[in-house]
Order: sequence, then structure tokens, then C-alpha cells
Amino acid sequence: MNQPTVSSSPYAHNNQNVRKVMLQVQIAAFPALLAHIYLFGFGIVIQWMLALTTALAVEYFMLKLRGRPVLPFITDMSALITITGLVFCIPPDAPWWIVVTGSAFALIFGKHLYGGLGYNPFNPAMLGYAFLLISFPVQMTQWTMPVEFTQHTLDFMQSAQYIFTGHIPDVSLDMYTGATPLNEMRTGLSQGQPITDTLSKDMQTTLGGLNSWAWINLAFLLGGLWMLYSGVISWQYPIGFLGTLAIISFVFNQVDPELYPPMDVVLLTGGTMLAAFFIITDPVTASTTPKGKLIYAAGIAVLVYVIRNWGAFPDGIAFAILLMNIAVPLIDQYTQPRVFGHKR
Amino acid sequence: MNLLSSVIKLVAKFNPAAKRWMHSFNGGVFPKYNKSLSASQPIRKQIIPERLILPLQQQVGLTPEVKVQVGDKVKKNQLLAQPSKDPFKALSVPVHAPTSGTIVAIEPVTLPHPSGLQDQAIILEPDGQDESIDNVLGVDGSIPDSPLALKAILLNAGIVGMGGAGFPTYAKIPNQAGKIHTLLINGAECEPFITCDDLLMQTQAGDIIQGALITAEALGAERIICGIESNKPAAIKAMKQAASNTKVEIKVVETVYPMGGQKQLTLELTGVEMPHKAHAVDVGMLMMNVATYAAIYHAVKFGEPLTSRLVTVSGLGLKQPYNMNVMMGTPFSALAREASPKSELNYPLVMGGPMMGFKVANNDVPVIKTTNCILANPPEPVEMQMPCIRCGDCMDACPVNLLPQQMYWHSQAHEFDKVEKLNVFDCIECGCCSYVCPSHIPLVQYYRHAKSEIKEIHAEREAVELAKQRHEFRLARIEREKQEREARLKAKKEAVKKQTSKSSEATADTTKKPASAAAAAAKAAAAKRAAAKTKTSQSEGQETNKVPSARMKAIEAAKQAAQKSAAEKTASQPEESKPKQADTKSAAKQAAMMAAKKRAQAKAQKSEEPTDLTQKTAETDASKKEDARKSAMQAAKAAAKKRAEAAKTKNKETESLSPDAATEKPETDSSGDKRKAAMEAAKAAAKKRAAAKSQNSDKTEEQIKPVDTSAEQTETDTSVDKRKAAMEAARKRAAERKAKQQAEKQDSDEQQENPQ
Ligand code: SF4
Ligand code: SF4
Repeated sequence: MNQPTVSSSPYAHNNQNVRKVMLQVQIAAFPALLAHIYLFGFGIVIQWMLALTTALAVEYFMLKLRGRPVLPFITDMSALITITGLVFCIPPDAPWWIVVTGSAFALIFGKHLYGGLGYNPFNPAMLGYAFLLISFPVQMTQWTMPVEFTQHTLDFMQSAQYIFTGHIPDVSLDMYTGATPLNEMRTGLSQGQPITDTLSKDMQTTLGGLNSWAWINLAFLLGGLWMLYSGVISWQYPIGFLGTLAIISFVFNQVDPELYPPMDVVLLTGGTMLAAFFIITDPVTASTTPKGKLIYAAGIAVLVYVIRNWGAFPDGIAFAILLMNIAVPLIDQYTQPRVFGHKR
Repeated sequence: MNLLSSVIKLVAKFNPAAKRWMHSFNGGVFPKYNKSLSASQPIRKQIIPERLILPLQQQVGLTPEVKVQVGDKVKKNQLLAQPSKDPFKALSVPVHAPTSGTIVAIEPVTLPHPSGLQDQAIILEPDGQDESIDNVLGVDGSIPDSPLALKAILLNAGIVGMGGAGFPTYAKIPNQAGKIHTLLINGAECEPFITCDDLLMQTQAGDIIQGALITAEALGAERIICGIESNKPAAIKAMKQAASNTKVEIKVVETVYPMGGQKQLTLELTGVEMPHKAHAVDVGMLMMNVATYAAIYHAVKFGEPLTSRLVTVSGLGLKQPYNMNVMMGTPFSALAREASPKSELNYPLVMGGPMMGFKVANNDVPVIKTTNCILANPPEPVEMQMPCIRCGDCMDACPVNLLPQQMYWHSQAHEFDKVEKLNVFDCIECGCCSYVCPSHIPLVQYYRHAKSEIKEIHAEREAVELAKQRHEFRLARIEREKQEREARLKAKKEAVKKQTSKSSEATADTTKKPASAAAAAAKAAAAKRAAAKTKTSQSEGQETNKVPSARMKAIEAAKQAAQKSAAEKTASQPEESKPKQADTKSAAKQAAMMAAKKRAQAKAQKSEEPTDLTQKTAETDASKKEDARKSAMQAAKAAAKKRAEAAKTKNKETESLSPDAATEKPETDSSGDKRKAAMEAAKAAAKKRAAAKSQNSDKTEEQIKPVDTSAEQTETDTSVDKRKAAMEAARKRAAERKAKQQAEKQDSDEQQENPQ
């Protein structure tokens, strides 16, 4: 970096820094983490620790390789946010190498090869997720069944055993894994079952009227609202994304409720809330102009809906985000705000 | 509105960014103001330092001329330096003595300027008496009745804008009354730490209001609006009191940095968004700082020049921050010491506030007319600069609505044209973007750098553009001249054509010539012509003045030839055909000579030997044929050689017409040239004929006539053949002529080449 040497005004700063911002994002993810542990067991903790170890190793190695000072960059916490985003997308009891390859790929190809933090055009977490989804589709779609089906979750040791060895002695694993509701809807549809049937089947096992997925999403919403309030993220992202998704799903659901899931289901399944508050708000890869942020978020929402309903993947968030990442420079260019004293 | 603002205030308690909705411009920041540090203290008594350093250059513009000498005793308010040129043309203001004393030196000192440069200054050693000259400006205390009268006083008082850049105040004021309809008083003082305007408003509210009224009266302004930030309740109260029963409106504005920015405060007070690049005067508004108005009042009422000002001495490194009415020229260090620093002042002091101020190069720099604050903040550990994470915080904070992150990105990549497109020149360098950047990027520094780079690039580009324009102008002139020449040539040709058509029958008599020879001559001529084409651009210039000289040559040659030919007509032939040497230059010259001779012979024969003209022409025709071919060939060779040489040195356009191509092509593309040549030949023939007609009388006419009539009547094969023959003859002649021309051209070219 060719930074000028003479320091000049301003000599004041609001004491914000990248680390603090990233830390706030991390804290905001805690409610969802807790909910996840409660509903799906300790799998996610193991996955998270695996990812963290991988991230530290990869960061250290890559920074050394790139000749960058290790300490300030390894502590900028951006890798932490990346792996947190990724871990929430991985089945909690997926084999250990899934998360390791995923995080390594995300950090190396998603960030460092582009020049590190701030230079990557694609969301690293989503790049890693997309990579895993394409490379290991079977492992990536076998989700741990939530607690309402299994009545109890695997404990820490069992999860660890399962993740590392692929089996747990004396436990029938069929009971613990299955498809996500989004997947079920999709298979249901392909077998001629209307959405409403699939959903009502799901609804038999609920927790306070909502299924586990909805709970996780609500936990994300909670953390997201806190971030909004503390000014860590711009309002345009969640409003643009959730607003657009709500409108589209409402309209299509009105057109044909048999074929298109209702609005609340769309908003509270899969990674909707995770994306709205934690993934698309990654500023590096998002549009930066005020209008651009809205357009970017809305664009992702449209793509997500399209991929979910007509595409080949049950949850299209990763691809939607990556696609919109490509469009960011264009969006930025056409949404420049009017400069003071200038005419449009 | 009230409900809305209270709701916003409620929201702002949770999210400070909501405060941004309260003011009319975008963004802004809410730094820690730290104003109470100095505002809570009463104004201190003036100190008289040991030395006063009075830089001649205290403002934007030219340096005034020193009017005193070392050793002079001066009194307070005495004029020390005065603009040397007409200050209404070149910005400059005088300097006055802040106190009585002796001039001890006039020497360069370090200026309180971001550059840290040195410049001449008058050093005054106070005598402590503080004797003053009253009403040094000689005013009568009445309100100036015209802007010009006011401007004169302000100029003589040396008043400059006391809030910021220090633009001479007189220069801000338009010359005609009525141009300014709204006078704005800037009492916002939005920078942290600074409280001098606050205290000035508290203590001299009357002076400020009076100053504004005087200015408004002189300029014919109808409205006076004063904007004060809401965090100065005491100042607001004092100003409201002073403004009661006057037309001055006091408006309380939100406390947000940079509310005190000229464009920002104008928008807030009047709702007018000053257009890009326009000055406040262009929209009928004039904004000045409260301190400037007070100075105006003192100048107009009491004839006092600007020799002292209220300065805030504050900062986290001082135990007792204060405000003081400081003499211009007081060193920063002396003032900072008065505030009992917490630790030794081994760090640079800052002139101005923390947001837009700058570190001085030397703590002994003097207070100047634009010094509003001396800041002593001990250095803090700087956070490491991280890469931009495109968070957009800077954009949300920018009061001008720029895209700081994009400008940073492109500045860093040295894509200054893109930075300029992002309107970097609208950046007021307020520092809001740097203030909020979580990556701690010194954004403003990048923009300053980019601005100076862009200015440099523009200067360079302008220089290049100028050179280019000059070059293009030259090319255009050359082109124009060429076209004019061509036009003249064309006109001539047209005239010739008419003649030719008249006498086309006449060519019939120069018939029996071997076709092969004609063809060869034509070829050679064509080749030459093609070659000549490449040279036209240079040679055409000479063509016009060549004609007479060629004729002169011809005439001279003709005289000689006439004598010669009279004596030994036939002998000339072998002699002339001799020079077959490879030395093409001399050959060309000889060819030219020969051609000239021949022409001369023809002429001479015509004039001197009228009786056997036909015979002679026949003879000369024969010889001419031969000679022409030779000379043409030689000339062509020479031309080819030349061209080869020229192609090396000259531009690519000539290269494309390289010798090979030129010699291969001529048959096809020289048809136009041939026609030209034919016409010329026809003209020559016509001339001859005319001569023959007049001199040979009926006989020849009778001989020709039958041929003519037959040709005209029948138009059969014979006529066609004849015409062909005529054409060939014409061609030959043309070739001959061309050879001559070519040879001449080469001569002249040779002469021309060296100077080129
Ligand atoms: S310094 Fe320039 S770019 Fe930065 S906030 Fe101020 S006006 Fe905007
Ligand atoms: S505030 Fe700093 S990190 Fe954020 S976008 Fe602006 S320059 Fe980049």
C-alpha cells in the first residue's frame, strides 16, 4: 500500500475500527448459535471449532505467503465472520472434511487470492458454500433432524464421533438425518404433492407453533435487528431483501397456493434471515451506494426465489449472492448519489 | 415538525446516526466537542510577547511591500506593509503594527501553513508601552454609502476572512450595490475545541450585529441571517438580545459537524443549495464569520486596522485552556505556555480545529489573521491503516454526498481521471470521511494528493494541447495554401481546356511518330509523374515561383540554342545524347537543360527562322523524341532514387507510394495525368500551330484543311487512327514536358532539401 507519509487532518476519530465491526457481527450471531445447539445438537460447535482452526491455519499461511504482517490481519476477524456464515450453512453433523475444505476454499479462493480483505469481489462464505454444494451434494443435503423429530439431540461426544468417524456405535443414524423442509417441498412437488400437504405434515411436529427452521431464522432476525440498531449494517440490505422476498412470495402464493409456499414459510426457512442480516451485508462484496444497496438486496431476493422455485437447488441463496456480486460494479456506477450543488 | 424532531431525538438516543435526519445536508458527524475546556474560562488578559512575528503573507494573494526599515520605531496600528500593486486587481492586504515597538529584523520565518514554508516577515520588538495611533484609517464613523467606499476601508484595515482560508474581505464584496440580497453571519463554529467565536458572540454581540448592519447598509442587502449552533446557548442569548429591534434574524441550527461550512450553513439558513462551482455572491448571498463582522465594525467606526483577534488555546495537553484577544504575530509556543501544558510541548501544535486544522512545522510560528485556535493534543497511538472494507460509512458521513470510498479506491490506483469524475473537487476536505472510517484510512490526505495530481495533469495537458493547436494551425495553413494553389492550377487548366478543344484538329499534323517510342516516353513520363506525386506536397510550393524561373532559364537557353542551332543544327543531337552516366543528378540537370533548350529551340526557330519552320519542327520533333525519352528515363531514375531516399526520411504516407508501386502502377492511374499532359501538349501544339498559321500562311492551312474536313466528315477508322496518333503525339509531348518539369523540380528540390 502506498500510503502517504505525512499525517494530516482530521486528528480526530470516532474510534470505530474494523475489528470492532466484525466483533459486533460475531456477537449478533450468538442467539442463532444457541438456538442451533438447542435444536440440532452440538454438531455446530464442533463444526465451528474445526472451521476456526482451519481459518487460523489458512490465514497464517496465506499472510506469510503474501508477505503481509500476520498479527493485524489475522485479528481483523474477517475470517471469523466468513467461517461463521459458512458453518451455519453446513449440516451440523456433516463429516469433518466438509467444513475444513469448505473454509479453506472460502478463505483462499474467496479472499486471499484476490488480495485479501477488501479486494474480493465474491462473498467468501458463499463461495465456499457453493463449492461444497457442487462438490459434495449428498453430504450437504443430509441435514441433522431437528429436536422435534428426534426428541433428543446427539450429545457433544456423539456428534464428535459421528463427524470424525461417520458412525456412532449403538445408535441408528437414520433417525437423525433427513432432508430440510425446503428439500421436502421440492421432492414433494416433484411427486405431485402440493406444498400445503408437505407443510401440514411438517406442522405436526412443532415447537411453540413453529418448526426449528423458523426458530433459527428468528434467532438470526434478533441478532440482525441488534446490528441494525447499533449501526453495524445498513438498513437497505435487510429491508431490500426481505421486503422483495415477502412481496414476491405473497403474490405467487396468492396465484397458486398449491405450488408456491406462503410468505411466512419463505421468510422463515432455509437461510433467509442468515442471508438478510449476515451474508448479504458483507460490505466488501455488496454495493456501496444507498440506492445500490437496495437494488443489490432486491436482486438477490428475486434470484433466491427463482432458484428456490424453479432452479435445481433447494436453497439458492449462495448462487443468488454470487450472481449479484458480479453485478455490483455496474450497480455502483449507476446509482451514484447526487453530489451537493450538482444537478442530476 | 416539532413532533418529528422529538421522535428523531428519541431514536437518536439509541442510534446516533438518526441525528443526521435533523439537518438539511447529507451526513455530517458528531465528534466529541470538548468545547467546555476553553469556553468555561473567561477571556484572558492580552499578553505582550517578547517578539512579534508579522508575516507579510497572511492571506490568499500577493505579498505586500514593506514600508518600514529595521530600526524604525513604530506605534500600534501603524502601517508596516502595503500592497504594491492595485489591490483591486491583485489580491493583497496591508499589515499593521499590533503594538508599539522597534522593528528589529525583516527576515524569512516559518509560516503557519500546512506546507511549512518560509517567507519574509517583519519582526517587531514591543516596548511594552502599547502606544497607539487612533483612527489610523481616518474614518468619520459614518456608514459607507457604497460598496466601494466600504471596500476601501476594509482593504486599508487589512481585513481578511477570519474563519477559514483568509480570503481578503474586500475582494468578496461586489462593486455594485444591490447584488447581495442576503447577508449571512456564520456563528456556527462547528469544529471541536474551538470557542473563540462563541466567546466573541457572548462578549461583543453588539459589535458583530453592528458590523453586519453596516455591511448590509453599504451593500443594500435586505436580509441578515445569523446561524448559531445549538450548543452555544449563551452566545445565542447574547446575540438575540443584541439583534432585537434590528433586522438581523438569529437562527439556531443543529449541532453537527460541518455545519459551519459555507455551503452547508447557507443551505441550512436559506434553503438554497449553492450550485456546483458557483460562489455565494452569484446567488446573491454573502457569508462572513462573526469575527470578520466585528473587525468590520471596528474599522468603519473607529478606524482600527485588524491587529489582534480572539484565539482559542485549547487541547487535551493543556491544564488551563483559555481564549485571549491575541496580537497578530504572537508565537504559538508563548500562548501554549500560558495555558500550563501538562507535559513538555515536544509535539507539534495544531492551528485550527482537529477536523480541518494542520500541524505547524514549528511551534514558534506566529498567530496570523486566520488563526482561530491553537490546539495542543498530545500524540495518540495511531491505529494501523487497514484495507477499505467498502462499508460506506464515509459516504454516509460526507456532507457533499460524494463517494469517498470510490475516490479512495481510484486515488490509490492512480486513476486520477476517475477520481475527478467522482467530483473530488467538490470535496471540502472536512474530514468527516476519515473521521468515521473503521479502517482508519487517511482519506482526506488521498483527496488532497489527488487534487494536486489532477491539477498537475491538467497543466500538462494544457501545455500539450497548446503545442498541438499550434501544430494543427500550421498544418491547416499549409493545407490551405496547397488548396489555393490547386485551385489556381485548376483554373488555369480549365482555361487551357477551352483552348485545346478549339485547336484539337491542329494536332493532326504532328502525326507520324513511332508508336513504340511514344509508348515508352509515355511510360517514363507516367513513372515520373507518379514519382512526382509523392513530392507534390513539397514541390508544389515551389512550382509557382518555378515557372518564371524555368521560363527565364528557357529563354537564356533559347538564346544560346538559337545561336547554336543556327550554326549546327544536327550536331547538337549526338552531343546531347552523350550523357548517359549513372550519375542521375547531373543527368537530371542535363535533362532539364536539354528540355529547356529544346523548348528554346522551338521558340527560337519559330521566331528566327520562320520560313523553314515546318522542316525544323519535324527535325526537332525527331530529336526531341529521342532526347525526351532519354531525359525522361534519366529523370525517372533520379526521381526513383530520390524517392527511395525520401522514403527513408519522410513520413509513412510517402512510403506507401514506394518506388515499386509507383512504377508499376502508372499506366493505370496516370490516365488523369496523361490527360493533363495531353492538354498541355495540345496547348503547345496549338501555340505552334498558331505560329505556323501566322507565318506559313495559306499553304499549310490548305494542307491541313482537307485532313480536318475528312476527319470531321467521315469519322471512320482513319479519323480514329488519326486521333489516336494525335493523342500519342500529345502524350509524347506531355512526357517531354513532364520530363522537363521533373528535371527542374529536382533541381529546385535539391536546393530546397538542405534548408529543410
Ligand atoms: S473530506 Fe471530502 S469526501 Fe470526505 S467527507 Fe468531507 S467533503 Fe466528503
Ligand atoms: S469508511 Fe473507510 S472502510 Fe468504509 S468504505 Fe469508507 S473508506 Fe472504506
